[in-house]
Amino acid sequence: MDFIKDYFFTLVVFIVPIIYSIQPLLLPALTIRKTSNNTSALSRKKNILYRQIKELEMEYDIGNLDKEDFLIRRSELKAEVSNVLYKLKKK
Amino acid sequence: MTPVAGSVALNLAFGCSILSIITLLIYNRTSDHRLFLTGQRLGLAVSFFVFIATFTLSYQLLISNFDIDYVARYTSFETPMIYKVSALWAGQSGSLLFWLFILSIFNTITIIQNQTRHHSLMPWVIIIMSATQAFFLILTNFITNPFEPTQAEFVVVNGNGLNPLLQNITMAIHPPVLYLGYVGFTVPFAFAFSALVNKDTGVLWVRSIRRWTLVTWLFLSIGIILGGWWAYQELGWGGYWAWDPVENASFMPWLTATAFLHSIIIQEKKDMLRIWNMILIVLTFSLCIFGTFLTRSGVMSSVHSFTESLLGPVFLSFVFIILLSSFGLMYTRIDDLRSPRKIESVTSREGGFLFNNLIFVVICFAVFWGTLFPVITEAITGDQISVGPPFFNQINIPIGLALLALTGIGPLLAWKGTSNRKLIQKFTLPTLLALLSALLFIIAKMTGYVVISFSLCVFVTVAILSEFVKGVRIRKGKFNESSIVALYKMISKNRSRYGGYIVHLGIVLMFIGFTGHAFDKEKEFGIKVGETEQVANYNFQLTRMYEQERSNHYAWITDLRVTNLSGDFITSLKPEKRVYFHKNPDINKRQPHSELDIFSTLNQDIYSIFSSVNNNNDTAFIKIMINPLVKWVWIGGYLLAFGTVIALWPRKD
Repeated sequence: MDFIKDYFFTLVVFIVPIIYSIQPLLLPALTIRKTSNNTSALSRKKNILYRQIKELEMEYDIGNLDKEDFLIRRSELKAEVSNVLYKLKKK
Repeated sequence: MTPVAGSVALNLAFGCSILSIITLLIYNRTSDHRLFLTGQRLGLAVSFFVFIATFTLSYQLLISNFDIDYVARYTSFETPMIYKVSALWAGQSGSLLFWLFILSIFNTITIIQNQTRHHSLMPWVIIIMSATQAFFLILTNFITNPFEPTQAEFVVVNGNGLNPLLQNITMAIHPPVLYLGYVGFTVPFAFAFSALVNKDTGVLWVRSIRRWTLVTWLFLSIGIILGGWWAYQELGWGGYWAWDPVENASFMPWLTATAFLHSIIIQEKKDMLRIWNMILIVLTFSLCIFGTFLTRSGVMSSVHSFTESLLGPVFLSFVFIILLSSFGLMYTRIDDLRSPRKIESVTSREGGFLFNNLIFVVICFAVFWGTLFPVITEAITGDQISVGPPFFNQINIPIGLALLALTGIGPLLAWKGTSNRKLIQKFTLPTLLALLSALLFIIAKMTGYVVISFSLCVFVTVAILSEFVKGVRIRKGKFNESSIVALYKMISKNRSRYGGYIVHLGIVLMFIGFTGHAFDKEKEFGIKVGETEQVANYNFQLTRMYEQERSNHYAWITDLRVTNLSGDFITSLKPEKRVYFHKNPDINKRQPHSELDIFSTLNQDIYSIFSSVNNNNDTAFIKIMINPLVKWVWIGGYLLAFGTVIALWPRKD
């Protein structure tokens, strides 16, 4: 009984993780499905850019940014958002 | 679980870490996704085996298996359960395993969290993390194995027990928290290195690690503050910071990490300081490893211990490899690292951030030099010298005050540049109030750094509070909200900014506490039961002295009645003199320890230490210290943690 217990413990603790690790090598060649990765990356980027625009407006409102810099930076961010939205739409 | 399971797990972990690195390196050449999955899973397997090893050692500590040398050295049957657990990080090999354990937790989180994200960065992130794990696995497998059997030729009946100084609840918490900070910087470093390899040194990697860096920085900060708290509560010299090498080892990465936290804001918002950020994260990670080396190699007590074990040379080699590979890679990527924009004005927020960064690095260099100078001197001349607090204070107090000033100046500066009109508008109120308070402090007979420090605290507080007031006013005007709603919404919509300001206020409170040190008073005296001694504005009467045997020590306890000069009762203090391992027949193995008692208020602490008792057991030798404003250091620490949590709190997008 003890032998089975020890054997089971060894199998579970030491052998299963190794089998799990090398299992992908036994699969046929894999290609990455980049589309979903890219979509989630793009929507994350879109959220970050929206947030940056809001922060920029706040900076301008409390006087930490002059008007010229604010307008340039906002138009840069808006252009970047448009680009991201275009890419998202294409997918 | 048998100790063998722990050893086998460590061996397997080492093997998997090497295989993970090799597999992912091949993946980088072939782009065969199976190899990426295998490398990733091997990375997880490393962590799993490290967990097994750590739980095995913890179990052996709990069941007091003195056949293992580590268990016999750091625990005994009398050691309370909680300290049997904390003995895991009390000694060299256990603490290195614990480092590895935390790194493995972070490794697992990073891999799982990024399974569908940062696909281009992740292979090198895993390689760097596995390489760091492999380094610690080399140490724990081949140099200082925590599962080493006891060398004694007889059965070990009982272990040595844990050092009484470590039998303190703060000391049980402080190392894990500090380690969470030290180890956590592996993740931002791995992302930075990966960004360099992938020539993707723009904003992406910075965004990926900003939150992680903040969490890690929070742990490091809390770890350092807890260390100070423990020293204050337990060591009995009345202070919380002694510029001791162990303290400095944690302070140096904190300095560069704080600089990094500030400068990544510039990269995120303006895409500037790319090279500087890379340098800072490389330095921070190297200093974390170097700090572990300083505290664990024994090199600070004697340079000769460096050559007594392989541990020191292996540690230093790893630090050199990190520095050489990182800076070498940066050199080859120098064109990608050049930021498209430049800082245009000294009075811009970017300029303020850069200046604050330089101050952090200068303080770090001063601490580094002061810490290592004795080691270098001993190595060259053979003479043992020490560099004490006077050196560190002389250099760091003026620089630290400049830094304090910048915590107030920075938030007032505008991006790109601040016009003269704005400068006058924003700086007038804080400057006037700071000057007015300086005048009041001088009238109150304060001098030098004390006046400067307190006045700067006023300046920074007013500057930051005025930013809050301004923001609330704008929201009230724009959205017609009440002040409370406007404050809440303003903070919740700009958590990192206002969380950061709260952290700055925490730093101000800590500086108030540091400055209080200038007013410390102390007196040491012998006293018999019934006698009274005056210290500063208080009378201390010894009303009782008695003895007590407890489970793991023997104690002499005094009862001091504290009254003010008018005779009003203030408090009762009960400092103790303890002897640990008092039943040990070998008198040299009994460990005396002073358990102090502190009466703490916002204004000052009354700190009592029972130094010794005479042979007739009728005279207690007591040391009393009056330490003003110390509590503000801890309150500042709470505020710092609170501000960081606000900055970290996830937002609803």
